[in-house]
Amino acid sequence: MKTNRHTPGEAEETGIDLAPMLDFTINLLIFFIITTSFIKEAGVTVFKPEAVTAEHRESGNLLIAIRENGEIWMDRKRVELRELRPMIERLHIERPDDTVVIIADRSSHAGVVAQVMDEVRNGGITEVSIAADPGSG
Amino acid sequence: MRVRRQSESGHQGSHGIDLAPMLDFVINLLIFFIITAVFVKEAGLMVNRPTGFEEPQDTESDSINIQVLNNGEIWVDNRAVDARAVRANVERLSAVNPDAGVLIIAQEQAPTGVIVEVVDQVHLGGIYDITFTTTQ
Repeated sequence: MKTNRHTPGEAEETGIDLAPMLDFTINLLIFFIITTSFIKEAGVTVFKPEAVTAEHRESGNLLIAIRENGEIWMDRKRVELRELRPMIERLHIERPDDTVVIIADRSSHAGVVAQVMDEVRNGGITEVSIAADPGSG
Repeated sequence: MRVRRQSESGHQGSHGIDLAPMLDFVINLLIFFIITAVFVKEAGLMVNRPTGFEEPQDTESDSINIQVLNNGEIWVDNRAVDARAVRANVERLSAVNPDAGVLIIAQEQAPTGVIVEVVDQVHLGGIYDITFTTTQ
């Protein structure tokens, strides 16, 4: 038995060689670590307006959605306008280089958007942009 | 040679470090990052908001004013214009006054879609200094 097992000799192992799989897995892992960005999603779907000149922002990772009826959603929860400022302040202390993208429905009111922008700015985050789909033209 | 090696490692079956626990850990990490990965990149438009301490008259005097009414009408230079004509109007007015920024004055209930359309048109007209304000 013992001699029989050892006859392959040059392979030196009885199981599958795990090293290539490990290489591959670690590569995948590194890829996901690098591409991960902990975006706080708004949690609702809105119809975004289209704009040709919309630009992708690297660090726009705090999303605030404004629905048609004026509801404000952030981090998968509905929030009131007056709750927004303390939330933004807290998140700004946690990660100071966060920026905010306001995803406003195309038929939401401009007044609500302006109020949300002011609250975010008062909360300490000055980089605020309004989301738009980069349309085809 | 062969006999000696076999007698050393015979019970374990392999002579390297056991990679299995490390592999388990790495795969767990991998699963965590796959699950939390979000590939959303929001595209957006930057607009300024007037700060309350500034004197608004100073900026208004030499900026291009665009008004958006509650019903979605767009007024530039005291004329109602179509959304697609905003670009031409902005280009004309900025040729007269090249340093001017754009001030978008929206009524409270103006639809955001129109605002974004106006911002887009102003960008196409070559001006990126846009201030957004609302009136009652």
